[in-house]
Amino acid sequence: MEDNKRYPELRRRLSPGWWTANRHYTMYMVREWTSLFVALYSLIFIYGLSLWAMGSRADFLNFLKNPAIVGFSLIALVFTMYHAATWFYLLGAVAPVKIGRSRTKPWQALVLNLILLVIISYLAIWLLVLR
Amino acid sequence: MSQDIATIRVTRYRPEKDAKPFFQEYKVPYRHDMVVLDALNYIKAEIDGSLTYRWSCRMGVCGSCGANIDGEPKLTCASFLHEFKGRTITVEPMTHFPVIKDLVVDMQDFMEKLVKIKPWIIREKETPPEQGEYKQSAKELERYSQFSSCINCMLCYAACPIYGLNEKFLGPAATALAYRYIEDSRDQGKEVRFPIVHEMEGAWECTLVGECSVVCPKGVDPMLAIQKTKILGATNAIKSLLMPRGGR
Repeated sequence: MEDNKRYPELRRRLSPGWWTANRHYTMYMVREWTSLFVALYSLIFIYGLSLWAMGSRADFLNFLKNPAIVGFSLIALVFTMYHAATWFYLLGAVAPVKIGRSRTKPWQALVLNLILLVIISYLAIWLLVLR
Repeated sequence: MSQDIATIRVTRYRPEKDAKPFFQEYKVPYRHDMVVLDALNYIKAEIDGSLTYRWSCRMGVCGSCGANIDGEPKLTCASFLHEFKGRTITVEPMTHFPVIKDLVVDMQDFMEKLVKIKPWIIREKETPPEQGEYKQSAKELERYSQFSSCINCMLCYAACPIYGLNEKFLGPAATALAYRYIEDSRDQGKEVRFPIVHEMEGAWECTLVGECSVVCPKGVDPMLAIQKTKILGATNAIKSLLMPRGGR
């Protein structure tokens, strides 16, 4: 093929503020950013467990009772819930289940997974703590 | 019949004259049944013959007339002027693609990707036409039919920030079309297509923004196809790990 490009094309780059262009992009960014809190909480929790492993259970509990840790945990809980809900919704969007002639809707996967989350969480708490 | 006036702001970029693109505003009288493409045609015919854009069928079939309308990737032939009543309509070339002139973008990259995924039925051994067609049931057709509606308009690429960041990304339409052939019961080319869709810049580059499926004018869900491709790839990898000989 002959090269007939006489003028250079205009190359455009994604601007740093691209995610503010519409609501979908913004919600995507919020979903991705909330995962940061999930990761941070995991690191803090692993550090707490290391206190238990190397010291005592009291060290671990004292660490968790620190008001700053309690405050951060509450914020992380809210963001983790949001992150989980968006992923449950996406799970329904990318893996719909066929029942008869119709397919399940994403919100149905969200509701089902939230119910399962509550049941499994309760079972875990019951097995490890309450029993 | 009464006529309204639409104000349209169109990106102009003439590389032989302009260092940078700029907006030019036009006033276009319109009827209720007119779309943005009709307005562009009016401008070209009546006001400014130098305005450059692509179009062909004007009925949402050819996929030539995509542009960013008020920031959203849309077919100009499917966007009614009356929907923007009372405000200026901004028409820009589709994002992420290099601009050749005004609203015309360079499609080369997408064309190469399209060929790369081999969008045709691959058979291990072709049978002569006399032996009849490769048969398929309605149920088998249903597995991929929505992904065969793609018109290659590239709106999904304009909507994809991943493609904006990394133009090597195979992208929504090409992956959806690859999946369409992978899921086709008549096709035997999985071994050929799998390495293409699973390479570094293939399906795994997608981070589920989902805007490709939102903007698709033909109701194709490329996001779904990409995730299904990932699922197929992952199950295939596990199968071949567990059953190296017959795991397929």
